[in-house]
Amino acid sequence: MRVLVVEDEKKTASFVRKALQAEGFAVDVCHDGEAALAAAAATPFDVLVLDIMLPGRDGLSVLRQLRERKSTTPVLLLSARGEVNERVEGLNSGADDYLPKPFELAELVARVRALTRRSTENKLTTLRVADLTLDTLTHKAQRGGATIELTVREYRLLEFLMRSAGRPCGRMMILEKVWDYDFDPGTNLVDVYIRRVREKIDAGFEPKLLYTVRGSGYILKEAQ
Amino acid sequence: MTIRTRLSLWYASIMFIALMVMGVLLYYQLVIEPREEAHHHHHHERDEEPVDPDVFEDVTSIVLSCGIPAALLAVAGGWWLMKKSLAPIASLTRATEKITAQNLGERLARTHNGDELDRLTEVFNSMLARLDDSFNRIREFTLHASHELKTPLTVLRGETETALRENSLSAAEHDRAVSQLDELNRLTRIVDGLTLLAKADAGQVSLNLETIRLDELVRDNFADLQILAEPHGVEVMLAACEEVSVRGDRHRLRQLLLNLADNAVKYNQPQGSVTMSLRRSGNAADFFITNTGAGIPPEILPRVFDRFYRGDAAHGNAVDGCGLGLSIAQWIVSAHGGKIQIASEPLKQTIVTVQLPTA
Repeated sequence: MRVLVVEDEKKTASFVRKALQAEGFAVDVCHDGEAALAAAAATPFDVLVLDIMLPGRDGLSVLRQLRERKSTTPVLLLSARGEVNERVEGLNSGADDYLPKPFELAELVARVRALTRRSTENKLTTLRVADLTLDTLTHKAQRGGATIELTVREYRLLEFLMRSAGRPCGRMMILEKVWDYDFDPGTNLVDVYIRRVREKIDAGFEPKLLYTVRGSGYILKEAQ
Repeated sequence: MTIRTRLSLWYASIMFIALMVMGVLLYYQLVIEPREEAHHHHHHERDEEPVDPDVFEDVTSIVLSCGIPAALLAVAGGWWLMKKSLAPIASLTRATEKITAQNLGERLARTHNGDELDRLTEVFNSMLARLDDSFNRIREFTLHASHELKTPLTVLRGETETALRENSLSAAEHDRAVSQLDELNRLTRIVDGLTLLAKADAGQVSLNLETIRLDELVRDNFADLQILAEPHGVEVMLAACEEVSVRGDRHRLRQLLLNLADNAVKYNQPQGSVTMSLRRSGNAADFFITNTGAGIPPEILPRVFDRFYRGDAAHGNAVDGCGLGLSIAQWIVSAHGGKIQIASEPLKQTIVTVQLPTA
């Protein structure tokens, strides 16, 4: 998996590269829009991490140019402007995801990983992680043969975690996908819900499936 | 007393005095002078011819029948004249009253006829222009400041997280890094809130308006409230949730509701309670959220919507928050053309009322 990081702020580019490399990605970095277009034309990348504010040609213009060239490479936009409307503008210009600065590294990594899996995302109606199953048609969850009662929100959270099984999910990402919030509410809503879901799917069962990722998120996986 | 009333009273007094003078002169001319002449011409005849009482009555009736209507006409004319000449002041007053920090860009209409009032309007307008300029500078400063903070904040946060991930820290360093990350998260929320408000002030945030069933949002929010309240042992109730639709931005209204619900839990007491209700009254949707707890002292109450304002009570309680929650809530409500109010009885309860116009 090869990622191109386009970010003019050198320190930010550096720790983003380190974090992605630590997750097993091959990472190329460039610092302006023209270089990004040249690099993207020369090498097929799996994901582009693109800052909007770049010297010269800005990120949105790079994105439009890429899409004009019929490139379908998934693009994650980064922005320090943090305008509510910018997100919509970015997605309309062909971006696949948008992350406002300052972001959590785990959040960024989780989103990049989600984008690499995007094309292969399954449309299964029965999700399975170890002996935990979730039927997305009937909204029924079962573990070890026992039925687990879930509220609507708990179901959506579990579905999201199971669809992302094996990948860490950042808090903002969960708020976005499960709650459809485009803002950081500054509450511990996600943590409280995770605790409840964990009680329902992990209490009394082995192995444990739902883990906290240090720093900023959660992961549902079979224990190694 | 308005200038118009005062001038009219003066005017009426002057008319009255003029009338008196006219009466006296008339009397002198019609009564005293003819008598003196008669006295002069007929001094051989019998003196002490009595004054003809009819003449005196004539004078009085002339003064009354001609003078008083003339005086009334003059006063009425003056009243009308003053109304006409003072009207620009009244409209200037009305226009000035409407000016707040939000519409400093507007200017008062000028007549360009070069009179004193036009000159006054011009001076007002240039004062507004200077004020507008200063306000814009402050807004721009806040906006730029919050943007400028984001890059170093991104770097700090990223590097702290990287250090934590690399597992090369000692236990003490690790704890320090985790605590720094907490503070960085807080700082991020502050900067985010500040950016939002600065943009809202500059009119750069556009609401994505649609017709929204507010009762559905409230029910949804109530579900989150239940979850948020549970770890605190706080009881929650939904007293009413009447069907009502508003024109609004779904994300911002949900942000508002969550913010208020979160406050109601945070500033509560163990074994306390939170009650929500949504009612329709006429052309308004009335939303209430009441919580038990320490409450807000009356001297602090008028300032709770101020940015970064924190009462001593909040400091003492060490409640986590960015200090902008209620300012953002207030912005969301006013951007939707509604009203938000907060009332509190210390040690008993705090009530937040939100009124939004229905769709």
